[in-house]
Amino acid sequence: MNGVIAGITYRALLGRRRVWLLVLLPAVLLALAVLLRVIGADGERATVELLRTFAIGVMLPLLGVIAGTGVIAPEIDDGTIVHLLSKPISRPVIAQTKFLVAASVVAAFATVPTFAAAYLLIGLEAGVASGFALAALVGGVAYAAVFMLLGVVTRHAVTIGIIYAVIWEGVVGNFVPGARRYSVQQWAQTVADQVSSSAFLTTDIGIGFAVSALVVVSVGAVLWAGRRLRSFSLTGDE
Amino acid sequence: MSESLPAPPPPAPAGVIHDIGYRHYDGPRLGRGHAAAALAVHSLRGVFGLGRTARAKIIPFVLFGIMMLPAVVSIAMMAILQERGVRYTEYAIVMQAIPAIFLASQSPYTVAPDLRFRVLPLYLSRPVTLWDYVGAKLAAMTAALFLLTAVPLTVLFVGELVVDMPGAVRTSEYLAGMAGALALSVLLAALGVAIASFTPRRGLGVAAVIAFYLLSTGVSTAVGRVLEQAGDFAAASWAWLISPFFLVDAAVQVGVFGMDGSGPGGYPEGVGVAAAIMIMVGLIALSVVALIARYRKAASR
Repeated sequence: MNGVIAGITYRALLGRRRVWLLVLLPAVLLALAVLLRVIGADGERATVELLRTFAIGVMLPLLGVIAGTGVIAPEIDDGTIVHLLSKPISRPVIAQTKFLVAASVVAAFATVPTFAAAYLLIGLEAGVASGFALAALVGGVAYAAVFMLLGVVTRHAVTIGIIYAVIWEGVVGNFVPGARRYSVQQWAQTVADQVSSSAFLTTDIGIGFAVSALVVVSVGAVLWAGRRLRSFSLTGDE
Repeated sequence: MSESLPAPPPPAPAGVIHDIGYRHYDGPRLGRGHAAAALAVHSLRGVFGLGRTARAKIIPFVLFGIMMLPAVVSIAMMAILQERGVRYTEYAIVMQAIPAIFLASQSPYTVAPDLRFRVLPLYLSRPVTLWDYVGAKLAAMTAALFLLTAVPLTVLFVGELVVDMPGAVRTSEYLAGMAGALALSVLLAALGVAIASFTPRRGLGVAAVIAFYLLSTGVSTAVGRVLEQAGDFAAASWAWLISPFFLVDAAVQVGVFGMDGSGPGGYPEGVGVAAAIMIMVGLIALSVVALIARYRKAASR
């Protein structure tokens, strides 16, 4: 953890147009929650459906892509990463610092609105609010790690990230049950299911597998990104 | 010192060192239209990665290949099982993730580099005007999306003609599908390029365009479903129109051509058709206006 790098990264992430996109996503979630409340569809089932499909299914991967790639990919794109890499700071430390920034941003922009949306609809009933808030937290951390790694590995990080999030988790996961075992969203939902006692939330992965997968993916991605930065070569733009 | 030298050799062309071979152009000047067309063709090639590195070709061609799969499977089904597969009018809607990802990954390419390297004044110092530039970029993205959505339909149609299924050929459905594909291409290209033009960063542009798609689809599905569960089908039919794919389906394929809808629920009827068309045209116009405003600002820097 390096305070200066963290500060610079926070400024780059939150100081430009990127932040508007980060704000827009939770704002839409809260607007939807208010809308459901107004039209009186604020049952437990509708709440779980909204959080599952929208908060975990749409908002979380998008926040992960924006924050996860946003901490490092623009610097690589600009070439300004050389200024960072030429400093006597261990590359794994750079990777860890950038990951902590991305994870904290995703956690803040996903966890709080998710909890607020659920609380707005059904209060603390059946542990739905806390379950999904925890799911958004752990899922967001895993997404931040994976997408930061992608940002280090490839210049098409955002495109590949959204292909994973939309096609693999969205389309393939709906038709091929086996693919659900390898999906951050499904692991996060399993965590939510563990906390919440709601009957409308069912998952088909064991909690042990989900938690270990989340830990392995998050830690593994950060370590790999650190290794990758150690032998980083700047390639020209296409 | 020069007096001591022998007589100078016959005079070589003076100042030859500075003549680096610029020659005057005497050929025909093709003018503004050709310049804009060249820009459009260049952008269209770039969208598919032609003239760029091999890596830039992977994503558009893989997406194009995935887009072709249902057509190939449908033709095989018609040939072997004598059964019709995917309908023409639902093709783009079933596969909507692919055009959306294509739009998100490629539309920033058309606009971001020029903004980032501030080369717009160079374009505008030629006969090309701002409208030509924006028009060329929009035309390129529209053509690319139309190729992506219309080629599978055409292949499927040719397949249907060749297989010679029992019963009438679904020509009118094919034509409705093609019109829908064209309208969808124009709408998506306008929205995608407009959103992408607001940031000079390619990565952020990709994220912003896909966020637009996922948000519109997610909101449409969430609101529509909840309203249907509440029994308010009239309101739900309007909620589907939030998604651009269902909007085009409702406006063109159902509204103008009278086909069956391919959305999760019914679309608004009567005045709703006119409203859907108005919303579609309005969104396109709004995107173009936003693009022009954006480029006015970018060109003046």
